[in-house]
Amino acid sequence: MKDFLTLKILDRFQFIFKKLKVDYPTLRKILQIKFIMDSRRVPVSVGRTKKQADKDFFHISLLIYAFMGFFTMVPLAIVLNNKMALMTFIFGLIMFLLLMTVIADFSSVLLDVRDKSIILTKPVNPKVLTVAKFIHVFRYLFLVTISLVGPVMVTLLIKYTYLEGTLYALLFVLLFIFEVVLLNLFIIVFTTLLYLFILRFFSGEKLKDIINYIQIFMTLVISIGYQIIGRAFEITEIFDIEFTSKWYHYLLMPFWFGGPFELFFEANYDISIIIYTILIIIIPITAFIIYTKSLGTFENSLLKLNQGDKQKPYKEKRKFITNIINKTPEERNFYRFSYQMLKSERDFKLRVYPSLGLSMVFPFLFMFQSGFDLTKLADSKQYLNLYFCAFMMPMVTYMLRYSKNYKAAWVFYSTPISDFSVFKKAALKAFLMRLLVPIYLVESVIFTCIFGIRIIPDLVAIFFTILIFTIICYRVFGNFIPFSQPVENANKGQTVVFFIITAILGLMVGIHYAVTLFPILIYPYNFILLIITILAWKKGLNGKVNINGHHRYN
Amino acid sequence: MSIIKITDLSMKYDSNFVLNSINLDVKEGEIIGYIGPNGAGKSTTVKIMLGLVTGYTGKVEIFGENIALGNVGYKKRIGYVPEAAEIYDNLTAREYLSFIGGLYGLSDNDVDVKAKELMKLFDIYDFYDQRINTYSKGMRQKVVIISSLLHNPDLLFLDEPLSGLDANTVMVIKELLSLFSQKGKTIFYSSHIMEVVEKISNRIILINKGQIVADGSFENLKDQVHGSTLEQIFNELTGFNQHEDIAKNILAVIEG
Repeated sequence: MKDFLTLKILDRFQFIFKKLKVDYPTLRKILQIKFIMDSRRVPVSVGRTKKQADKDFFHISLLIYAFMGFFTMVPLAIVLNNKMALMTFIFGLIMFLLLMTVIADFSSVLLDVRDKSIILTKPVNPKVLTVAKFIHVFRYLFLVTISLVGPVMVTLLIKYTYLEGTLYALLFVLLFIFEVVLLNLFIIVFTTLLYLFILRFFSGEKLKDIINYIQIFMTLVISIGYQIIGRAFEITEIFDIEFTSKWYHYLLMPFWFGGPFELFFEANYDISIIIYTILIIIIPITAFIIYTKSLGTFENSLLKLNQGDKQKPYKEKRKFITNIINKTPEERNFYRFSYQMLKSERDFKLRVYPSLGLSMVFPFLFMFQSGFDLTKLADSKQYLNLYFCAFMMPMVTYMLRYSKNYKAAWVFYSTPISDFSVFKKAALKAFLMRLLVPIYLVESVIFTCIFGIRIIPDLVAIFFTILIFTIICYRVFGNFIPFSQPVENANKGQTVVFFIITAILGLMVGIHYAVTLFPILIYPYNFILLIITILAWKKGLNGKVNINGHHRYN
Repeated sequence: MSIIKITDLSMKYDSNFVLNSINLDVKEGEIIGYIGPNGAGKSTTVKIMLGLVTGYTGKVEIFGENIALGNVGYKKRIGYVPEAAEIYDNLTAREYLSFIGGLYGLSDNDVDVKAKELMKLFDIYDFYDQRINTYSKGMRQKVVIISSLLHNPDLLFLDEPLSGLDANTVMVIKELLSLFSQKGKTIFYSSHIMEVVEKISNRIILINKGQIVADGSFENLKDQVHGSTLEQIFNELTGFNQHEDIAKNILAVIEG
């Protein structure tokens, strides 16, 4: 079995564990198995799109963190000179990134309920498991932290060696490292207590939902982050101002981290600076003491993880809409089913919601790229940016066929379903109603406010185009039954297809642009789009479907 | 010598008794069929004996040792197959079994040799180096069973061990259990399948609402309670006699 550097290092310090009366060989075995499993878990930052080869996903994710740390913090470290501002920003970023990664990627480890039933039924002292868990968390945090702060640490070292001399720079970095350790302690404690808190008042399902949304948020932050990296330098210059302490700064932890730097390296003995310094030392250590005392409670609360809670039944209001947009009872049934599946599938959300978030942001991002002059904007054709809403369609329609419970799709061929196109239609409608229509409505209202009611016919045209595009996307990726394929198979060599579909969308935008050159044409154009939409939704979903490799006609 | 000796064991969740004054004495080589309705307290008893659940009152001695003293050494001689067993299924069988064997203090080499042989005998050797999450239910259950036997335990706790196994494997396991008994190994067997319990056990303990309501061989129980099968005895002792009515009502609902 694979041996890990951490284990080899621990081997040298065996005597410590012997002193603590912890059975080292067993501890080592538990850690080894945990590390192996870490390397197989695909972290959110890597994305769940890669094929599950025997890659070490953990190390890949460390590289990504190093990049993230480099691009977010190194520019700050170079540009900012006010130490209080610099360290506050840097620690704000480290704190944010660390918290996100721990919650997004490490929750499954912290919340593993199998440990108790698998390991403690063997002749293993519970103390060994607790120590193993702690070392496991510590190693994870240590490696992630090193990757994140490594680049900025080197930058700081070089910067202050150059500005103030070697000794100064070394002391500076030493203080930096000390604070990072304090932050790590705080983060372990904070996440554990957070979970404890959530588990105390909510069910395990709720906790999983919350973690899911944090994962989605993090994926979104990473992808938007890449868009604005180039501007990082511009942004940082804005903040290089004299620092004045406000009362609410005492509540914001990143400010505390700035305190000691200001105190020791600028000899600033302002009362606020001294308070920050005291807070930064006392709070993490107190928190850690509380944590060690509450570990047992945590283990016990974990038992709640498998507890569910009552879900709300399908709302009356929704039934009304369901009945309007679906004709047959069969279609209504599939619609309701798809709606509920979309609501509860966490893997689906994790893959789809980030692109959903992007499609909400992009129309504005590109619109304002040319400036913030609203009057100039109002007369332009920038409202066509709304087409970016359709950007998520390929991803979503592609993901519709996948499910964590894909095996349950056997019910579709054991029940007398005569026409699978109804199912597909209903699933697409459910997606449109649940996700696209709300977003599109909100953006349309905002756009109408900016551009005036003249764009309403265009908004209709864009909506029809999205409806047609939905069918095209669904067909291009093969005619599968919704929710019938294993998620692990998603995204295998589909990049080219994504590219081609996006090109099709580009073509449709081009036609719309041409139409806007002769404003009166928009009405016949809408009429044509309406006909195509009806035809596409009536005929477009028929044909061979693929059930677990078997083809069936309908 | 008593393998298991439970004296006046009670356990409360909130203010409800899950176990209410259980007394039990199990001798070497016995195959105990431990049965009872859902929620009767069966798995709580087993979990207490494995040290997974604390906060009970009374005394639990295993191999003559009070387990409340916190010495985990007694687990070296126990094999445990829980119902719907959790397993680290992103590991391969090789990795998982060597890990579990290691927890019992076996050397990697010993485990590997044994695990390979057992995988062969259970006819899943081809999957030794595949991740367990690709296994079928039966294959998974075989791995769980192997993991409980690697260290040649003297006491086995089996909870629905046959679930997912095919008829041939079931025969192998049944035969194995009787061999174990002959060798003086003690088996604590929980199941809802009465026919199996009736056949394999030489002593049956029925627990209902946290209390032992019957304890004896199948022949004994037959004499005490009128009923020719364990199923009938079970229904009788748990006070369940509405099965005909319920079935009739179900039919009525289906027919509308």
